[in-house]
Amino acid sequence: MVEGVSPGPVQPGAPTVIEVRDLGVRYSLRLTRKNTVRQSFANLLRRRDGPSSFWALRNISFTLTKGESLAIIGPNGAGKSTLLQALAGIITPSEGQIDVRGQISSLLTLGAGFDAELTGRDNILLAGAFMGMDHREMARRIDSIIEFADLGQFIDASIKTYSTGMRARLGFSIATAIDPDILLLDEVLATGDQVFRAKSQARVLELVRAAKGIVLVTHDMNWVTEFCNRAILLEQGHIVAEGDPAEVVAIHREHSEQVKALKAAEAARVLAAAR
Amino acid sequence: MDITREEIAREAPPSLRSTAIRPGPIGLLGEAIREAWSRRRLIRYLVQADLKKKGSDTVLGNIWWVLDPLLQMVVYVILVSVIFQRTTPDYPLFIFAAILPWKWFTSSVYDAITSVVGQERLIKQIQFPKIILPTATTFAGVANFAFGMIPLAGLLALFYSDRISPTLVFIPLIAAVQFVFTLAFSFVVAGINVFFRDIANVSRHALRLWFYLSPGLYSAAAIEKLKETNPVIAQVMAINPFYTFFESYRNVIYGTPAGAPSMPLWGHLAAWLVGSIVLLVLATLLFKRLEPAFAKVL
Repeated sequence: MVEGVSPGPVQPGAPTVIEVRDLGVRYSLRLTRKNTVRQSFANLLRRRDGPSSFWALRNISFTLTKGESLAIIGPNGAGKSTLLQALAGIITPSEGQIDVRGQISSLLTLGAGFDAELTGRDNILLAGAFMGMDHREMARRIDSIIEFADLGQFIDASIKTYSTGMRARLGFSIATAIDPDILLLDEVLATGDQVFRAKSQARVLELVRAAKGIVLVTHDMNWVTEFCNRAILLEQGHIVAEGDPAEVVAIHREHSEQVKALKAAEAARVLAAAR
Repeated sequence: MDITREEIAREAPPSLRSTAIRPGPIGLLGEAIREAWSRRRLIRYLVQADLKKKGSDTVLGNIWWVLDPLLQMVVYVILVSVIFQRTTPDYPLFIFAAILPWKWFTSSVYDAITSVVGQERLIKQIQFPKIILPTATTFAGVANFAFGMIPLAGLLALFYSDRISPTLVFIPLIAAVQFVFTLAFSFVVAGINVFFRDIANVSRHALRLWFYLSPGLYSAAAIEKLKETNPVIAQVMAINPFYTFFESYRNVIYGTPAGAPSMPLWGHLAAWLVGSIVLLVLATLLFKRLEPAFAKVL
């Protein structure tokens, strides 16, 4: 771990960079992945049985002020990633409103958009263009991206020859090469070997210090208590706790213990019934 | 110390993005144009990547772009001249004038269909204008047509030098109208295929039927009497843009059966230019309306 960079308290009266009001994201269960006309007709006929949609997020309201580092924690499937997608503008809210001031950059799953047929170098340029970076800016940064990813001459080989670790390294160094106003991070702290992990944590902390605001999703509770000045606990699409990271983490721990205990009891019951 | 551009950008008031702002049709159209223009570099990279990949996965690479239309021509010549015993003077050139634009159109449509669904992972990770994707595949498709000019030049120079005429310079004009039409068509299929993956299966057959209903293998004059026997089919053919395109290409490349050069169907072409622009506007609006749902459905 990189030590001693705990963010100071946010100055009072700092401007708001993200404002979320009554956000709700609804997914339709009718119109899903790989739909075909046949299934749609079947769905039309089956209209009455079963819910036609579900809310991945509901009644979410919070603000992020300049200089804040906000952690979003919660169990799997709580809607953490959906919230980041909504903040990034990738999905549009079904209800409520999100206002964002400044350039936002998302570091969601790394290296997602790589084109396996192209070289590492081509992929850097392509990723930069997808993120909306100016190509001159990208040309200026390409050397430092390559250096940080530490790929050697592999940079001119096609991505399909890369190992998973190499891909992750390249993805991380592209995504963090830009300096956005607001940074969204989704579980990016645990990539690569130990050396790269330390290097990437140092880079994230650098960005944390430079950015006007951070929202991050992580399961690393040490990171939350050490480097964030606020936390939100999401459960089943709702905010259940918000405030001081240590307190929110404690509530999360307590809830996970309860869930674990419930599951253990359930498992014992299933086993007992089987016997 | 002088102030760099970056510093100026940082001093500028931060832009506000609010989900409360939902533009109307004119706003959506303006947005689409701004997006395509501001991401022209991305379109260029995608086109380059596309061309690089298409050339690299076969032994002969880009030579296939030259060979493909020639082989297709041979197939049709055998079918029509040998089996059906139709005698049209210089039939290989006659059919080649239709094969080139048709191959361009179909390959663009097939690429557009998968353009959005193929970038599924990226769409869920980064916010970017999705209209870039079918736009890029359609631009990359132009290379298909451009490469087709090589075998066309070869055919004309080696076998049909008496049919070479100055009207060949009109090919780019006809192609420009076809391009606008193709772009509109690409937006529609790319957007709808996200919701209904059947489009890919349907299109293969629909496009084949479309080709046979267009005067490609035959001339429009050859089916004149269809107007009396089957007026419905004749009507369908008349509103088919490829009636205009094929006849125009054939007039400038092949000329009349006797070998005299002739002009494109100027009136029809002008009408289809206007029609294609209207279709492009409607297709853009449709795509922009569907776009917000892409990340959720994919």
